[in-house]
Amino acid sequence: MKYVALLSVALATVAAGLLLGPASVPAGEFLRSPIVWQLRLPRVVLAYLVGGALGVAGVGLQALVRNPLADPFLLGLSGGAGLGAVVAIALHLPGPWALPLAAFAGAVGAMVLVYRLGLIGGTGGAGGELDPRILLLGGVAVGAFAAAITTALVSLAEATELRNAFLWLWGGFSAASWTTVLVMLVYAPLPLAVIAAAARPLDLLALGEEPAQYLGADVRRLKQLVYLAASLLTAAAVAISGVIGFVGLIVPHVCRLVWGRLHRTLIPTSFLTGGILLAAADTLARTAVAPRELPVGIVTALIGVPLFAFLLRRWTVS
Amino acid sequence: MRRWAHRTHLAGFLACIAAACGTGNRALPSGGITVTDDAGRAVTLARPARRIVSLLPSFTELLFAMGAGDRLVGRTAWCDYPPAALAVPNVGDGMPPNIEAVAARRPDLVVLYRSAQNAPAASQLERLDIHVVVLDLNQLTDLGRVARILGRLTGRERSADSLGQAMDSVASQPPAPSTYSLAFIVWDNPPIVIGAGSYLDRLAALAGARNVFHDIGSPSAQVSIETIAARDPDFVAVLSDSATQPSFAARPEWRVVRAVRRGHFLLLPGQLFGRPSPRVAQAIRELRNRLNGEGGAP
Repeated sequence: MKYVALLSVALATVAAGLLLGPASVPAGEFLRSPIVWQLRLPRVVLAYLVGGALGVAGVGLQALVRNPLADPFLLGLSGGAGLGAVVAIALHLPGPWALPLAAFAGAVGAMVLVYRLGLIGGTGGAGGELDPRILLLGGVAVGAFAAAITTALVSLAEATELRNAFLWLWGGFSAASWTTVLVMLVYAPLPLAVIAAAARPLDLLALGEEPAQYLGADVRRLKQLVYLAASLLTAAAVAISGVIGFVGLIVPHVCRLVWGRLHRTLIPTSFLTGGILLAAADTLARTAVAPRELPVGIVTALIGVPLFAFLLRRWTVS
Repeated sequence: MRRWAHRTHLAGFLACIAAACGTGNRALPSGGITVTDDAGRAVTLARPARRIVSLLPSFTELLFAMGAGDRLVGRTAWCDYPPAALAVPNVGDGMPPNIEAVAARRPDLVVLYRSAQNAPAASQLERLDIHVVVLDLNQLTDLGRVARILGRLTGRERSADSLGQAMDSVASQPPAPSTYSLAFIVWDNPPIVIGAGSYLDRLAALAGARNVFHDIGSPSAQVSIETIAARDPDFVAVLSDSATQPSFAARPEWRVVRAVRRGHFLLLPGQLFGRPSPRVAQAIRELRNRLNGEGGAP
């Protein structure tokens, strides 16, 4: 029953995203309008995919570091992506895809660095073991360092354009097109599948690393795979749409409250719920103050935080 | 030193009272010059400024246009017009100003753009006994007033008045009947456009082009590509010093906008169009020529 409700809310959200927009499209032309086919539909689909990816990345990371505060952007990725974007603008890298590619490179660079910091007892490969606490600390440190370099570049460079890199970082789906949707559709399934396949070992990991090991989970490998998959999902999300906070933090908690702690259900429901949250937030961002537009990250925070506070209240009272 | 500073403060206070009594913006009988700036402060100089640091490209252009360019001892990194301005020492990017670099030029007047970011700089410079005039320069209508204030402070009232008159007559022109429509796109991701509260909106109107985002009151705003496509401007105007189309023109989502699809870009050089300047009449003429030159198609 809950699944039917979730699916219908998902469909309604996508439909609302298609029907609502700052431009009025006459009903007769709706199916032929390039505004619907080239702008609204790819944008809704992309927002849904990115929201779903962030939701699943959040589930994976929260299980991995066993910390309810874990957010995909806590691990230094937003700092790395921001640095990549600013470097692309400062160097005037040519081409329409320079900015997202550079942001992706920056995010992956930060990920590799944090991963190496988090590996203890060996230098990668077979010997290493990921320490979740060091991952979190390393993520915060790498993120802060990248942010410092970014700010230094912005204040030193002779380009007012760089200010706009920060606007881009606040998040949004202005760059949505069928090409970006295709990129996401080709890219996301592998890391999503890796996290989905780890559903049962992640349940065991919730009991603690040692019990999970005794119960037959290859904890070392599990942590590495889930970390890499969640980070690669987040890196793609930030390259496509900037830093969109709270989705990866709130969605796993909401789903845990409604569907319980089993990752077999938590992962697909987080995908669907994350998509709903972000697609709805983007529709609001486009329409609430039309003809102007809000950065979608602000809308997710405005919807997400009160919702989260409400859930926290219920959680702690009961 | 302290007492002297104290006395100049007292003089400022008296000047304030004088301004309140309605004699402001006049040369005082003692030969001093007092103006009230856009922050409401009274600025009193004992004699016309001789060592000026200008912290906005528009101020630099105005000072050169009224023949006070030789008094400049400092400018920002962005002050690139007229070419003679490049010979003036550069004190940095100016936003917010580097106080030490400004003070090192030993100016007797610093011309500062009024913004929240610059507010601390004004009081810091005054603590160093450097006179500061804080001025607004956002709109076409500001040019004449600012020219007159700078003229008084430099003792070039005559040429500043005629410059101001020229600026005011441009500003008070009725807008030309608009043959074309355009959207100024300042940034593509997220899309930022120019609204009504801007110099460029007025410039376009005078050149005979309607800004399709004239209904947005603020100087600039983030909008969606969908809104730009729906408003369907004849031209997309971009501040750019290059002759090639901006890179977003190749992105599929932008090609829903008719002007982008057809390559109807107006690439406007930032030096002439990026700021209110005494060359506004030239900017209007050039925009009109470009509209008519490339405007056969829409």
